[in-house]
Amino acid sequence: MLRLSLIRLAKTAALALLLAPLASAQESPWFVTYDHHMEEPHQLELSFEPLLASPRHGNRFLASALELEFAPRAWWTTELYLDGQSTARESTLVTGYRIENRFRLLMDEHAVNPVLYVEYAATNGADKTLREFVGFDSWRDLAASNSQSRLEKEREVETKLILSGDHRGWSIAGNLIAEKNLAGEPWEFGYAAGLSRPLALAATPTVCLFCRENFSAGIEAYGGFGEQQQITLAATSHYIAPSLSWALPDGLTLRVSPAFGLTSASNRFLMRFGVSYEIPMGR
Amino acid sequence: MNMRSVLISVLFLAAAACAPAQRAMVTDPHVAATLAGQKLFEQHCAACHGADAAGTRRAPNLRERVQTLDAAFLFGFITNGDLRRGMPSWSRLPDERRWQIVTYLKSLEPSRAAR
Repeated sequence: MLRLSLIRLAKTAALALLLAPLASAQESPWFVTYDHHMEEPHQLELSFEPLLASPRHGNRFLASALELEFAPRAWWTTELYLDGQSTARESTLVTGYRIENRFRLLMDEHAVNPVLYVEYAATNGADKTLREFVGFDSWRDLAASNSQSRLEKEREVETKLILSGDHRGWSIAGNLIAEKNLAGEPWEFGYAAGLSRPLALAATPTVCLFCRENFSAGIEAYGGFGEQQQITLAATSHYIAPSLSWALPDGLTLRVSPAFGLTSASNRFLMRFGVSYEIPMGR
Repeated sequence: MNMRSVLISVLFLAAAACAPAQRAMVTDPHVAATLAGQKLFEQHCAACHGADAAGTRRAPNLRERVQTLDAAFLFGFITNGDLRRGMPSWSRLPDERRWQIVTYLKSLEPSRAAR
């Protein structure tokens, strides 16, 4: 099943390569950490971000989110996610959707640029996209079977304060995350932080596929901070994840990031992939 | 996929990567910066300002405007954008690339209609 999913993923990537229109693409290599850069107006970005993992006491799975990102204003980006997953020896299912909005709070560039992030998520307990870690999220959350976990309905509001800046080619970002399950559960907290840089700062005169300017390398760290009544690092999961992005000249960006769990509550290893491309909207 | 297919694919990609550039090697730094700026403009700016920078209904004609603007001002404008009016910030591009875009814009001649 996983092999079939990977073949489908490869076919999707190949199709995207063929169909990608000429458009701008300048993606950060991170998967969890957000920076202050918004989507450009009049562009629709499509992203597909599969995550492969083999939990300690569960079956291997491939989870993915299909993302549609659009900017109604240059200071406001909105995004729709459709989540799904396929677990070996269990089932393949759609696990819900999320809608997010990001608002730039300052209209000019500063050393540190704040962005407010608000998300509403309607998912079930089988969602394994692991877009962030909050509270006491751990590998145990992935151990339940799909048939059990899909019965749990989750309606959540997530907020983030995104702080980021660009200095001499380096991008630095930190996110503080607060998430609340609307079923009356306490606020849960988490963080993400990232550092990245293009492999070459200046562009070459010619269009090229493999030149260093098309690659960005980075590293990010993310994890949970506990809950409203118990803010702590103990028994929470934390990850460190190097990442690499490759921007192709035709507007397609490929990304990859292996994430390594740092605590006993963490999954040992997560493998993230990303394919995104931008479609100009109207002329 | 068998080993032979993998090998052919790798060889194809390697050949593509090693293929000589279509344009002759540019040795003049100003010309190189202008060409790099043109490439960046096509990638990031042409969707709104038009491939020839002559403007579209979304964004103004740059050929008319940039000649009178100071290069440092232009660099700052590209960096900050004008978010309220729909121009995104391009601070995500390294300084070197934003200067290459400025070099290209300053090389443009006014369009016929603007002369």
